[in-house]
Amino acid sequence: MKTEPTAKDSMIISSSLEYREYLYLTIENKDIAERSMPGQFVMIKNWTGYEPLLLRPFDIVSADPLNKTFRLIIKITGKGTKLLKFAKTGDIIKVIGPLGKGLDNFNCKSIGLLLRGVGAAAAVFLAETAKQKGIDVYTFLSASTSERMVCKSDLLPFSTIMETATDDGSEGYRGNAVDLLDKALTKNKIDRVYTCGSKRFARFVKELDRFKRTEGFVFLEGFMACGLGDCHGCTVKKDGEESYFLVCQDGPVFPVSKVVIDG
Amino acid sequence: MADLSVEIAGVKLKNPVMPASGTYEYSEMHKNFFTPSKLGALVTKTIFLNPRQGNPPPRIYETPCGLLNSIGIPSEGVENFIKHKLPYLKKFDSPVIVSIAENTVESFLRLCEKIEKTEQADMLELDLSCPNVQKGTEWSANKETLYKIVKEIKDSTSLPVIAKLSPLVSDISEMSLCAEEAGADAVSMINTIKGMAINISKRQPVLGNKTGGLSGPAIHPLAVYAVYSSYKKIRIPIIGIGGISSWEDAVELILAGAAAVGVGMYNFINPLVMKEIITGIEVYLDKNNFKRVKDITGLAVSSQS
Repeated sequence: MKTEPTAKDSMIISSSLEYREYLYLTIENKDIAERSMPGQFVMIKNWTGYEPLLLRPFDIVSADPLNKTFRLIIKITGKGTKLLKFAKTGDIIKVIGPLGKGLDNFNCKSIGLLLRGVGAAAAVFLAETAKQKGIDVYTFLSASTSERMVCKSDLLPFSTIMETATDDGSEGYRGNAVDLLDKALTKNKIDRVYTCGSKRFARFVKELDRFKRTEGFVFLEGFMACGLGDCHGCTVKKDGEESYFLVCQDGPVFPVSKVVIDG
Repeated sequence: MADLSVEIAGVKLKNPVMPASGTYEYSEMHKNFFTPSKLGALVTKTIFLNPRQGNPPPRIYETPCGLLNSIGIPSEGVENFIKHKLPYLKKFDSPVIVSIAENTVESFLRLCEKIEKTEQADMLELDLSCPNVQKGTEWSANKETLYKIVKEIKDSTSLPVIAKLSPLVSDISEMSLCAEEAGADAVSMINTIKGMAINISKRQPVLGNKTGGLSGPAIHPLAVYAVYSSYKKIRIPIIGIGGISSWEDAVELILAGAAAVGVGMYNFINPLVMKEIITGIEVYLDKNNFKRVKDITGLAVSSQS
């Protein structure tokens, strides 16, 4: 599906920091609120000058056409996100979007979401849309510890079933969330599984796809400068071919069989 | 309203602003920003004879006020370019500058011939300075090589030729002079500058190709000096490129001697920047009572020094 992004100064409607490392932003932007699709992203910055230079890409968590807003959940990690942390209600920030191909094929009966950490944020919009279309959503949410389990309350209303796992057992199953998905697949047919936030999960879903236990999809990220397909920075290697996709233009969601999961 | 038009090698540009090669795709993604017809010229990504995939990732890395890239010019190859991209670009109301590169003189000549035959290119820009490809910067690293490639191409084509030069030489003005003597109709400068970043946790270079080309505001002063020093030596027009992020940067390069400017990586950060620069130059000229942009080219270059 074609996207025609805009570049606009947009107002922050609300900003809150949770557990000191997760920033929840609601941003006013009519174009993105009205036109974005699950799987799409925006590039933003709230600083002026050249340091850092590039805008930062984030997946759209939800879009609210009625209030002309969209939401982002950002993990504070590097230079750019450390500045974004200071974004306050009423601030004007630069926003380019919506970007990326977006998911518009919902021709299935059930989907599974295998998510880890802040990667869960990318799948909320997908879960919401799937639920609206009457598709069953099986959510497997994972984190190192309960404090790092992002989007549980966001995903819960859209999930037919939700299971959680943490590495330390502070929330739900203690261990690897792929065990939960594996078990669920032996009981139910899940037409598609989308994964985000973990290379380990992506490799697991690639195996599931290979053995035809489900159709696998992966949300990918890449170093990108523009998000518009101009810079050719955000490459991901095609599986079985000596060439590349661009994450911004061909993704960021890919059929897992088509891409090489490295690292 | 000031006259923004300029002429490069007999080709009239409605304004002096164009993208630097490889930073702008003329795609549907830009539909809401502005039409390419607004631009002074449409510079293509560098085309090679055969399709290329470009370098392995990671391909970009952010540095202080700059961007290191090792993209390595992925290209659809000249046949696909002629079939699909060139006719599309001709729909817009701006001259098309086809950027080309190859690894040998012979293949460069074959490429020129193929482009010329289409009768759809208005100018050729010879990419003699990309730090990310095989022969890359070698083309403009010494006078003999530079002279030979420019001369051979000029002798074989009737299209105006722009030589794009690297700043990785001891004196770029000498290379500009050399390109002029070889018959180049214009020069463009500067290409990105070879650089490297190392991941100290992994203890290895960050970029997949190890080295990359540095662009962005960090290199702007190098571009200003390169243009300034070349302007004093040559008569052919200079297209000033390097770290332009605003109309002020563009005016600076024009005052240093550029007849036109190329905007590169800042298109990634602000997709409206070229449009804003065109307006900014116009307002600057009006405010300072200059009738034509041509009148300010080289104004900061003193004739004594």
